[in-house]
Amino acid sequence: MTATLTNPLRVGLRQERVISPQCLVIFGASGDLTHRKLIPALFELFRQRRLPSEFAVLGCARRPWSDEEFRAKMEQALAPVIAEDPAAWTTFCGGLFYEPVDLQKDEDVVRLGKRLEQIDRQRATRSNRTFYMSVSPNYYGSGCRALAAAGLLADPKRSRVVIEKPFGRDFASAQDLNRIVNSCAKENQIFRIDHYLGKETVQNILVLRFANTIFEPIWNRNYISSVQITAAETVGVEERAGYYESAGALRDMVQNHLTQMLALTAMEPPGRYEPESIRNEKAKVLQAARLAEEAEPWKCCVRGQYGPGGNSADPLAGYRQEPGVDPNSTTETYVSMKLFIDNWRWQGVPFYLRTGKRMPKRLSEVVLTFREAPVHLFDSAGAGPTANQLILRIQPNEGADFRFEVKAPGSGMRSRPVDMDFSYDESFGEPSDEGYVRLLADAMLGDPTLFTRSDEVEAAWRLYTPLVELIEQQPWQLPVYPYEARTWGPAAADSLLARDGLLWRRP
Amino acid sequence: MAPQLTLQAPLELPPQEVPDYLGRLWEGEQEQANGASTFSLVVWEPAWIEQQLVRLGRLTGPINGLERPELLQAAREAIPVCGLPPSTSPLAPELAWQLGQLPGDASAEDLRGQQVDAAISRHQPRRLITLAPTLDGHRPLETLVAAYCPLPEEGPMTSVCGDVVVMRGGLGALEHGLQMVNPLISAELPCWVWWNGCLDEAPQLFEAVSQAPRRLVVDTAIGSPARALEVLCSRAASGQAISDLNWYRLVSWRESLAMAFDMPSRRDALAHVVQLDIDVQGHQPVQGLLMAAWIADRLGWQLEHTSKAEGEGILASFRRPDGAPVRFRQMPVPVGTPSTHPGSLVGLRLVCEPEGRTPLCVILCGETGGCMRLEAGGMARLELVEEVVATAVESSQKEVSRTLRGGHDSTNPLLCAAAPLAAKLLPN
Repeated sequence: MTATLTNPLRVGLRQERVISPQCLVIFGASGDLTHRKLIPALFELFRQRRLPSEFAVLGCARRPWSDEEFRAKMEQALAPVIAEDPAAWTTFCGGLFYEPVDLQKDEDVVRLGKRLEQIDRQRATRSNRTFYMSVSPNYYGSGCRALAAAGLLADPKRSRVVIEKPFGRDFASAQDLNRIVNSCAKENQIFRIDHYLGKETVQNILVLRFANTIFEPIWNRNYISSVQITAAETVGVEERAGYYESAGALRDMVQNHLTQMLALTAMEPPGRYEPESIRNEKAKVLQAARLAEEAEPWKCCVRGQYGPGGNSADPLAGYRQEPGVDPNSTTETYVSMKLFIDNWRWQGVPFYLRTGKRMPKRLSEVVLTFREAPVHLFDSAGAGPTANQLILRIQPNEGADFRFEVKAPGSGMRSRPVDMDFSYDESFGEPSDEGYVRLLADAMLGDPTLFTRSDEVEAAWRLYTPLVELIEQQPWQLPVYPYEARTWGPAAADSLLARDGLLWRRP
Repeated sequence: MAPQLTLQAPLELPPQEVPDYLGRLWEGEQEQANGASTFSLVVWEPAWIEQQLVRLGRLTGPINGLERPELLQAAREAIPVCGLPPSTSPLAPELAWQLGQLPGDASAEDLRGQQVDAAISRHQPRRLITLAPTLDGHRPLETLVAAYCPLPEEGPMTSVCGDVVVMRGGLGALEHGLQMVNPLISAELPCWVWWNGCLDEAPQLFEAVSQAPRRLVVDTAIGSPARALEVLCSRAASGQAISDLNWYRLVSWRESLAMAFDMPSRRDALAHVVQLDIDVQGHQPVQGLLMAAWIADRLGWQLEHTSKAEGEGILASFRRPDGAPVRFRQMPVPVGTPSTHPGSLVGLRLVCEPEGRTPLCVILCGETGGCMRLEAGGMARLELVEEVVATAVESSQKEVSRTLRGGHDSTNPLLCAAAPLAAKLLPN
């Protein structure tokens, strides 16, 4: 791909909403999310002048670090980025603080409150706080309770809580956690992160659908024959075996990311572009969704686990050979399934979801396949006329692709498919922000549009409850099929579509 | 939202008693109220046009310094009465001067500093100090203080309160009372100084009140262009944080021009600009010059020459990085309904001649003005891109509110780069 000139008029020009003075408190600040994602995202916001001067970050964890140690560790982790703008880092770093806090200890929470007041005086942060729970999911509930008990969540306009995924392990635990969290703070103070929603391309699904007149009239069962949603990773479990062994692909990717893409693709237009209107529609469509075979869920779901693969130059270990993984593990690293949405718009249209690790390509996409023309008037230059497709590329090569038939050059009247392509990289003069940049900014702004609401989370868990119960109670009904690393999943997944006369799209 | 009033009737005190009184303000009964750990705001609020219109009986009071619709309507009606051109902005300083020549002695209650625009009170300033000069230059200094508590819409009933101080009198009295202002400003909190007037109307007072590290908010659309740009450049160069409301109003224009060149096929054309034309409303050139300076800075042009053009326009020539010349022309144009703020951009035309390709012409038109002058002449040979720039006209209070919300202790780098070039573009 040739390099595209940047647009010099775009530099420094973002018309972004301004973040108010506040203190961002990160619990679990000694963990890798903080130095891998959160601090880099905050530094990027700082460099874009989207953070006010009256801003502070207070890292909290059990480790007995000092402010200087915390700053030094962040500087070490971000060294390549800091090298681009060391002066900016010096200024930004002055707003980083650390307090050793164990949220399970009352005296620590009292000390936290005092430290926050001190930071308010020092940095003029106006008693405005965002609390980020980058801790084990086991501590979400107790952490929120501790903050509430200390009065740190009392002001709904000046306190927010951001909670990472996973939110619960199943429907019951998600409900319990929602009850606890909602007893500590109002719903509009709670921000449940799904970082896929921070991607421009995921947000673009809404704009594409509702800012254009041409799509909405055909975005339904009368014109669309099927939808495929794919989130494929090339990486294996890497260093996350401890978490992944108990989660699997269903909990790690399907219940959250794929379900969010499903909701945005299938939802009704909101009445207004307001957070609650959009979240209302997402919750509604998820409540109407169901597994294709709820009584016999094994008929509409395939699980897989990657085995060894690669080639002699780059051999890849199988999942069971990965460090930290039980050699007899039955955790799925691949899931595909078929869903329906029982409403007027989508009745009878199958939605196929798939996700997997160690697949040939890293990509996420939504593919809408349209019904074939009722009569084929023309011969096809290929094997046969292809159905129109709208492909929304979430990552990489973010953009969209519309595939349709045109006349093939020559004296006859034969058709062939062509692609009309839109690429973000080529069309806009600057790169998009990484997901956490957008999500952190929105959380600090108090805009919940890109965060999931309690009913959405519960609806997503309820949708997959038959599968979760099946895996826990009758795992033999849903066996884990092996697939070679760097392939598109087990053969059984192809059979899932073959029964409907379809094939998985080969990107 | 209606302006919010102070919690209690303001108390008039001798200036020397004000600091002690403010120190005791939150003791005793007000145990549930906390002083806001936010910021201090000092406002120079002359409201000359409002005072003159009230004096002439053309506007009913109270005088509050807010850009209310009745004020703007009365000002527009007064423009022809004063013999000013129809394209004069209702907030133009020359209107205040002309009104001052007319006889009248009506009066009204003066609530400047006591009626606080909700856009500002929403940020809960810790201390709001208003300097309110009166038409009577000999009027002695009056000092008023009051508590101020916006009620929380939800959440705990604890209020986060601040206080207001109003210093009102003739210019001489205000200058004399300045020594009182500094002790009232907390060194621990950021302090903004909003000079809501011409930068050349009280230079001593301005210098005394606006020193760094206070963050300065000015409007270079008001008053002498040379003085406005001089202040902008010197303060930005010294490292002080300065925001210019006139620069901020260009946001939509900058975005629209950048958008015109987002398409990859057009980006190369930016390196081949041959001509830039800007039309502004009335005879206040600064906003147009800031826009031209921003473009020149972004595209790496060097200024070679600037001069006055026929009809009070400005002619300049730049040199591109590849050595080719760029012609610049800025013209004042009459408009039917002038914008509230003087010198608003009406239109912009950028002509590019990339090698071996059809020349490109980008025309941006303001919503309220026409672009016929820029659209005329030889368009047939050009690839034409024309966009209407949507501009929301907001009150100065709302504009300042935006600055207060996400304040920085440094000047916007784009403004830092554009201001000196804009100053050089202004002919002597």
